[in-house]
Amino acid sequence: MGIANESRQEERNMREEHHGAGRYWLIWGLLLVLTAVTVATGRIHIPTWGLLLALVIATTKGTLVALYFMHLADHRGANRLVFAVSIIFVVLLLSIPMVDLGTRFRGATPPGSTYSDLQAIDIGADAQEGRYGGGLRKEGKMGEGSDVNKK
Amino acid sequence: MQSSSHAAGGALPVPRLAGHFASLEVQNHAARLGMWLFLATEILLFAGLFICYGIYRFLFPEAWAAASRSLDLTLGTVNTVVLITSSLTAALAVHYAKDGKNKAVAVQLGLTLVMAVGFLVIKYFEYKHKFDIGTLPGRFYSYEDIQLPGVPLYFTVYFCATALHGIHVVIGMVVLSFSLVRALKKADFGPNNFTMVELGSMYWHLVDLVWIFLFPMLYLV
Repeated sequence: MGIANESRQEERNMREEHHGAGRYWLIWGLLLVLTAVTVATGRIHIPTWGLLLALVIATTKGTLVALYFMHLADHRGANRLVFAVSIIFVVLLLSIPMVDLGTRFRGATPPGSTYSDLQAIDIGADAQEGRYGGGLRKEGKMGEGSDVNKK
Repeated sequence: MQSSSHAAGGALPVPRLAGHFASLEVQNHAARLGMWLFLATEILLFAGLFICYGIYRFLFPEAWAAASRSLDLTLGTVNTVVLITSSLTAALAVHYAKDGKNKAVAVQLGLTLVMAVGFLVIKYFEYKHKFDIGTLPGRFYSYEDIQLPGVPLYFTVYFCATALHGIHVVIGMVVLSFSLVRALKKADFGPNNFTMVELGSMYWHLVDLVWIFLFPMLYLV
């Protein structure tokens, strides 16, 4: 019975919109403004907080799309649960590997990366064609795997 | 509203109410829930790429910044605006479908498809430029101006993410085309029958949603 009530309420919300088409135009305007903000702030490359700000703006835009364009605001229980759980899983999937990576023994990070003591030149690749940097493709050979330049 | 009234009367040709649903409301609710479950798997599919992005950006921050600045921000911004606007027209299509204005539904879906094509054309020019200057993944990377460890990895992530997103744009166009053809030929969308437009539009909004995150992540490091 609970499910039936939920279905009925959702159906009513979806069918009798409490708003006209104006709401979609409003959301569209907000999305464009936020796009302008993210471009303006992204171009000045704020150190440290730039990524966080970009993600906050993107999340705000995503929330507007999900709530009003995808009608999550009109939907009930189960739909919201599914969406919320998928977002929780995305956050878990992202945060656990990042915590792992951020707390690693330096020697276990890939050579050439910022957190490694080994740079491209230390592992037998010259700086111009670091193994992890790809590097120039020269005539007659294709990037890594060649030992022509190995020390 | 009981199922028997629908089944016995048969006055409404659409939508068909399947026997195992108590009512049309429950059927629509189930369709919507199914779509959300599918979209949840799509979100997790893209999450895999976001994790690759996060890990490699963490390991190679300078390469990420340098590679990101080699992209054309203007084209990226234009594409963002195009996709957001196409999301608006997809939402308006659902709005008109509820009112039974099938002509308006066809117009809005048509506009959505035009903008989708525009998005792909701009993407094609961006890809072509990358193939020309050699900012490509792995050993195919041959761009002399940026030589940093990790740059080819940025382009691996870039091409995987934008190509997967591009495939979703194409699939979304096919899905919306079905609704467009129906709005023109059968013209039977109305207050009782708009689930097809609604679910197709939800898929399109997901495509927009993914791009909203991809844009700052790739173009504005």
